[in-house]
Amino acid sequence: MSKIRKNYDTSFRTRFRRYILGETELPEVDYMPMYKKQIAEEKAEDERATEHYLMPPEVDPMEDAKRYAELSGMRWFRRLYGVMALLLCVAISGLLIYNVAFMPEFGSADTAMTNEVTERYIEKGQEETGVVNTVTGVILQYRGFDTFGETHVLFLATIAVMILLKRRKDEEPVRMDGENPGGDRILRTMAHFMVPLIFLFGLYILVNGHLSPGGGFSGGAVLGAGLILYSASFGFTATARFFNERIYDIVKVGSLMLYSLLIIYYLFTGANGIDSIVPLGKAGAIISSGLILPINILVGFEVACTMYAFFALFRKGGL
Amino acid sequence: MGEWIRFGFAAFLILCGLLAAGIAAFGLFKFRFALNRMHAAAMCDTLAILLVLSGLIVLSGFNFDSLKLFLIILLLWCASPVASHLLANLEVTVSPKLKDNCEILTDDGKEEEKV
Repeated sequence: MSKIRKNYDTSFRTRFRRYILGETELPEVDYMPMYKKQIAEEKAEDERATEHYLMPPEVDPMEDAKRYAELSGMRWFRRLYGVMALLLCVAISGLLIYNVAFMPEFGSADTAMTNEVTERYIEKGQEETGVVNTVTGVILQYRGFDTFGETHVLFLATIAVMILLKRRKDEEPVRMDGENPGGDRILRTMAHFMVPLIFLFGLYILVNGHLSPGGGFSGGAVLGAGLILYSASFGFTATARFFNERIYDIVKVGSLMLYSLLIIYYLFTGANGIDSIVPLGKAGAIISSGLILPINILVGFEVACTMYAFFALFRKGGL
Repeated sequence: MGEWIRFGFAAFLILCGLLAAGIAAFGLFKFRFALNRMHAAAMCDTLAILLVLSGLIVLSGFNFDSLKLFLIILLLWCASPVASHLLANLEVTVSPKLKDNCEILTDDGKEEEKV
């Protein structure tokens, strides 16, 4: 009976009523026994856990886990999971295939994609930018601001990786085999033939970007792949003979700054309606289409540096 | 008539290539050990691509496109065996179960004694 009475005394309703009636002094209740009991329980549990931990395992833990999985319905769960995954896949692909029926016919004239913007690109693109490859004209001139931002994103990504991974000069290399990859004779023999061809092809894509499919990003990726292949087969010391950290800094920052200058010129003349003083030249020639050729080359260097920097930073934590 | 012979030859080459690629894909999923699977994948990379692309070259005739296809064959035959070799090297270096799956020979060609 007293217990009930005690509960009544500590209940929120009573305390609230007393507060309303002006009995600010709350009844003294011994809260401690409750906590003491809890603490004792926890302690006992801890002890049990420690005992279990100290005891040598009687059964193979893997077997134990398997048996536990069987008991707790793992097999059924797996089966259900498979069925549900299949249903989900069928449902989603069905939905997508159903939607294909509503797509406009390929190449039809009255779609949202064929509007005045596309017509302008196709009709006036060569005349206004001087490029034969309209894609390059679009990404470097009509939408030059977008490409400019992308190039900066590449720069920022490299800087972020550098912050995370760059090793201090006095730190030991992380890998057991030191800093130099390579040493495989077959790889070296093949790289001997391949690397010059890859570089040549990358440069070809770069300087031909305004005439044929390609341009800064793809050419830069090929150049970067060539650099990675070279350093992976001949080692970083051999690469540092023509591409060390100083040259890397100069090329990377220099090309980005030059690109920025050129794009500022573009934006300034474009926004004020001034004609660019750079002649467009004859469409189809290598030296033509104004500033697009240098911009392509600069973007290519930027991309190549980014790719090589990622490889070198992840491989040895430096350039 | 000549056109038909050429078409038939090209189709034969392409079908052979597809067959090789199919067998390689089957082997890739059938085998359990990494080096066996790598063998199947390398077959697909070289033989199947050689057959299919030479079929396309025959179909296209002697022009700039077929030269490009030939360069692709050359590039893949240079690059993919080297890549397979490096991967196999890595597998041999790090695999803990190597001795369960294959015999290891010493440099003289004799079988290494089992530990």
